[in-house]
Amino acid sequence: MKRKEFLKKSFTLTAGGIVMPYILPTGRLYARTNAPLADHVVYVLFAGGVRQQDSILQQYLEGSQGLSGIGGNIMYNLFEGAPPTSKIAYGTSPSGQPNGSSPIPKILSQSLQKQGTVFREMRSVNGGHYGGLNSLITGSASTGQGLKVRPSMPTIFEYARRHGGYKATDVWFIGNGIGNSTPLLNSSLHPDYGLNYGANFFAPNITFGSEGYDVLANAKIYHPQEELEPIYKMKNFLDNTYRVRQGQMVGIKNTDDEKTRIKEFIRATFQKKAAGQLSFPPVSGGDGATIGYAIEVLKEFKPKVLVVNMSEVDVGHGSFTGSLQALHRADHAVGYLWQYIQSQIPEMSGKTIMLCAPECGRNLNPNPIKDENDWFGYDHGDSNTNRVWGMMAGPNVPSNLEVGSESSPVGYVNDFSLTIAEILGIKFDVQTNGYVDSYARSLFERI
Amino acid sequence: MNMQIFNSKHRFNAFVAIMVMSILVSCKKEKATSYGVTDQDVYGTNIDKNKKKSETEYIAILSTNLFQKPLSVNELVKTQHVIQSVGDKALVSEIIISNYMNSPDVILPSNASMRADLDKFINDLYKRFYVRFPTELERAWFKNYLQANPNVTPELIYTSFSASDEYLFY
Repeated sequence: MKRKEFLKKSFTLTAGGIVMPYILPTGRLYARTNAPLADHVVYVLFAGGVRQQDSILQQYLEGSQGLSGIGGNIMYNLFEGAPPTSKIAYGTSPSGQPNGSSPIPKILSQSLQKQGTVFREMRSVNGGHYGGLNSLITGSASTGQGLKVRPSMPTIFEYARRHGGYKATDVWFIGNGIGNSTPLLNSSLHPDYGLNYGANFFAPNITFGSEGYDVLANAKIYHPQEELEPIYKMKNFLDNTYRVRQGQMVGIKNTDDEKTRIKEFIRATFQKKAAGQLSFPPVSGGDGATIGYAIEVLKEFKPKVLVVNMSEVDVGHGSFTGSLQALHRADHAVGYLWQYIQSQIPEMSGKTIMLCAPECGRNLNPNPIKDENDWFGYDHGDSNTNRVWGMMAGPNVPSNLEVGSESSPVGYVNDFSLTIAEILGIKFDVQTNGYVDSYARSLFERI
Repeated sequence: MNMQIFNSKHRFNAFVAIMVMSILVSCKKEKATSYGVTDQDVYGTNIDKNKKKSETEYIAILSTNLFQKPLSVNELVKTQHVIQSVGDKALVSEIIISNYMNSPDVILPSNASMRADLDKFINDLYKRFYVRFPTELERAWFKNYLQANPNVTPELIYTSFSASDEYLFY
């Protein structure tokens, strides 16, 4: 090699070595992380406060109403176990038959427990819904979090977008409504992360419900080049002359192309709804509908991360029968979601890890409120509330594995954030930034 | 008798005093004074805007701008819920605006009147949406853009202003 050529190549390589690290989407000097375990993550917040005895311990009325010999598994898509054989009240209510007397047929040929790993006895870190949800999506030990404010610590959405380099439509949060802090969980207020890295959010019961229909369904469809392009050109000029100050962003931002795609999705969803073509579970409504809309988002955007929140089990404060039915329907909906991904979304089939956990449990002892079956309701707040389970299934997840037991709890809800980070290949970044609980571990490490 | 003389004398003195005082304090013809100050409309600048409009304020102001009448409370609450149900607020605002633009009740200037006097249109536009005058840069940019793009209508311009970041602040 001639001296001149050698010097030229050496200079180019050196310059490239200096410049290249800065153009990585993570902003790090060098890519230094684990290999991803799957292309997509679907994370089900099995929320509403799920009592350990009524769910994974399969005690049914024996462990809740003191009716001896009446136990059984009402969540047979998630867990292995035979269903109750008497006093069936957890199913649907066909006309002319007793309330809840018709169990929903099992949807998965093999339970998720068989397909993946179940953590039988985990610990929640908060006895309330919001604190519990916060732990599930941030992995932070921070407990001083008020209602109706965004989390103070970064969420898994922000970790994924900042360190994984994902665009806004790659990351979604589907909420069960707009009550409490639900619409604020798609991003934190953290100055290093925040709305710039937040997730797209729908509360589908509003967005695609009657209110959304009245406000959104009659929107004009502008021509992309002749109308939308000038609108965005003028808007971009206006936005450049008025810079929104740090901390004043009101929502997450999609690119113009992403916005056009989401608008088209909203329009198409209204049309599908009118035609009865939405991919809802066979038994739907409430949490089932939320899962159904989450499936619509999965079909359209094939996101890297989708988190969906349920809540109907929370009726258990005043109606134990209602909470059993909600638990049973939620199991059905999650089974349907997993089956749909595997059978109807080829881009995600076999490439998706699904994780699932309640945000908190419920009390050991009942409150004095009786429902129509004279069964007592359950609040949440005692030490039994901290007992929860967790599960995951998909590629690189050991199948038919149970970890932990009543006498030997393993894992807690703050672990999910790091677990998802590991699945996406960004665990190192998340861990070293120091915002997750220092005791949190990836569930893969707990196995 | 003495009392009568005293009263009439004092009455006369009082009358004279009142007359003198009246002459001293009575109004005079006002002189027209001009200080050379011309009338100005007072508008702020975009730098002053640092308070976010609430969802309710945004919808109420937007609908009043486009329909020239306020929205009902029911409509307001419904729209507020829908905004809360979508994560990208700019995106949902754009859909709401285009929904409004599809309404027969929306009041927009005609394309012809806009193009007949672009300076006036741009001034009015900034005053209507931003409650301020455009800067020279803004005026020049819009004037050039509208002259170069004859197909851009008031509807598209109103949409871009309604969906802009500055419109979310006051």
